[in-house]
Amino acid sequence: MNTLATRTASPLAWYARQNPKRELWLAWGTLVVFYIFFGVVFFVLTRTQPPPSPAWDSRKVVQWFQDNHSGILIGFAIMFVITGMTTMSNALIAYSMRRMSVSPAFGYTYLILYSLSAIPGMLLMCIALTVGALRPDRDPELITWTYDFAFLSFIGTMGVFLIGSLVWMLAILIDKNRVFPKWFGYLNLCNALTEIVVSPAWIFRRGVLAWNGQIAWWLNMVVFAIYTGVFIFLLRQLIQREDFGTGPLPNLAPKAAR
Amino acid sequence: MTDHSVAQVTKPGKFVPGQPDMWAFVLFETLVFTGYFGFYLFYRTQSPELFLRAQAQLDLRIGVFNTLVLLLSSWSVARCVQSARAGAYRQAHTDAVLTTLFGLVFMVSKVFEWFRQIRIGNGFASNDFFTYYYFLTGIHFIHLLIGFIALGVIFYQLRRPAPRSRGSQELVETCATYWHTVDFLWVLIFALLYVVR
Amino acid sequence: MSDIGESDAPPPRAGLRRTDGESLLFWTLPAAAIIWVSAFLLFPGFTPPLSPTLSADQVAAFYRDPHNLPRIRYSMILFNWFGVCLVPILVLLVMQIRRMAHRTPIFSYCMLGCVAGGPTLFLIANICWLLAAFRPERNPELTQLYNDFAWITFTSQVPFLIAQCVILAAAIYFDNPTGLVLKRWVAHFNVLVAAALVPAAFTGLALSGPLAWNGTLSFWLKNIAIAVWIVVMGVVLGQAIYRERDQRALPEEQQVAG
Repeated sequence: MNTLATRTASPLAWYARQNPKRELWLAWGTLVVFYIFFGVVFFVLTRTQPPPSPAWDSRKVVQWFQDNHSGILIGFAIMFVITGMTTMSNALIAYSMRRMSVSPAFGYTYLILYSLSAIPGMLLMCIALTVGALRPDRDPELITWTYDFAFLSFIGTMGVFLIGSLVWMLAILIDKNRVFPKWFGYLNLCNALTEIVVSPAWIFRRGVLAWNGQIAWWLNMVVFAIYTGVFIFLLRQLIQREDFGTGPLPNLAPKAAR
Repeated sequence: MTDHSVAQVTKPGKFVPGQPDMWAFVLFETLVFTGYFGFYLFYRTQSPELFLRAQAQLDLRIGVFNTLVLLLSSWSVARCVQSARAGAYRQAHTDAVLTTLFGLVFMVSKVFEWFRQIRIGNGFASNDFFTYYYFLTGIHFIHLLIGFIALGVIFYQLRRPAPRSRGSQELVETCATYWHTVDFLWVLIFALLYVVR
Repeated sequence: MSDIGESDAPPPRAGLRRTDGESLLFWTLPAAAIIWVSAFLLFPGFTPPLSPTLSADQVAAFYRDPHNLPRIRYSMILFNWFGVCLVPILVLLVMQIRRMAHRTPIFSYCMLGCVAGGPTLFLIANICWLLAAFRPERNPELTQLYNDFAWITFTSQVPFLIAQCVILAAAIYFDNPTGLVLKRWVAHFNVLVAAALVPAAFTGLALSGPLAWNGTLSFWLKNIAIAVWIVVMGVVLGQAIYRERDQRALPEEQQVAG
């Protein structure tokens, strides 16, 4: 008969046998796999990044749909299967904030903001373009409508990422556990600012500030790519440094001893 | 295990390295702004008459005034840092207040200038030059607003009784660095939009 | 104040967790299920499922038919009211995940993210159906567009459902094998259900056949899998809740693991 004592001892002994970080590594690995899929689907399969022009007339838009027909349908179907992976990314980042010395409110706020960001900020585009590509003989005006809906919702969903990045930035800057370096806090500010820089995409149909513009898309994408690469790297470091305590996170020991 | 990690964390003499991190941020933002300026200059060469004509609509005097105000604010925030370092907190506080005032003057002047341009008929989407004008001054304005938050941090740090910690002083210097960046970026924008014709 | 994910000790087993009201929430499930099934049968577009090959005029005729219109509206209103009814049940599952022997709250966070995403996507489909039925006298092409949006969203938006199943399975696999909160077979079952949901993501690729939104894979397999999942997980969840409740009633020395 298991007593309470044995029952409490057994999970501890079981922990000792397992690597306690494996669920963190699972989350990190999923996050990396997701971004690889994201890159391949959006940049290669569907050719929606870099985005086509908002200045096109209906005829050109219909032509674009025709040229990318299978790519769009297959690529976004893949997104419909794997988007759940983003929950692992958000969970890991929320966890990083729970490891900080700041209130759990930061982690929860980020979790909620980014959990709801996937729908207006990515899935709506995938759905709209799928519907647009579904019937190539649809009225070109309606196809253009789905085209606008898709790209504007994707590029133009700004608030969740803006506020979410600011929340993370704030948590990092006041954190005493040194979970992340302060310069990464400032990088979050840079990422948040890209959400402001992209807002003219709702106004312009040509030029540098259109949804395919050199500033609103290209420059922003460079900042976002750097930001994403950096936080993937820093999350990896976090998991390596993690000691499951509540105090300052130890630095990574030099390569010889660990 | 906790003792071990504490021993690892406190390195002799080095506190939260606010300054190098802020410099990294400054460098990054400057690079991004250089990108914006690059595009501006490139598209200027594509339609030089349009840009020249539109530029003529800007009032150089307001531009110079704004630049002076921000330069003065940089001077006062530098004085604030010096005073704080020397322990003269009343003086530092006054300097911080001065900086805030200069910043507010700039802000009001900018908004006034925007309204004036809109009344003349030059809006965000009027022509390419004014798109850049509003975009560059707008994004700078946002950096300025963040600058006010940085000033707020300075005020908060200065409230602590002497002797303040090294970390606190460094935080003041970090925020001052940010304010200098805001000024520096404005000078570049001023040169590009108002002066280079 | 202990809250989700705070302690670094093993999560408390039976007896230390506040569980008041959980059985109350649990018993909303049969009520929700009855409402859902009724609404499902009431909607003329599900019985039998509307074909993607209908022309715009035929779709418009479907919405204009006075026999269909009230049924469409009332069933969708019902779905709009009660579409989110599964959320308390899913959160009860999150509570069960919290009881498992995990070192971090990563899995609960992921599950919470999924819980946020799933019902929202369903609501988008729901709104589109209601919109299609609102002004049936409009241009048939517009009605067809709404109808397409609704069906594509309803059918292909499985990412968070898949993620729910995979995360629950992973959480169970990572649990302490000698004191499982939920049995291993539940994990295998969830993996199967996740696999069954995958084809529906590809519904945009075909207007007829098994992948079309009225086809065997995208409609029947997906919806039956979801129904089976609700029933099975309902039973499993109920058992877990009542088992925990019974354990709390026992004196401490007699409490058995799991």
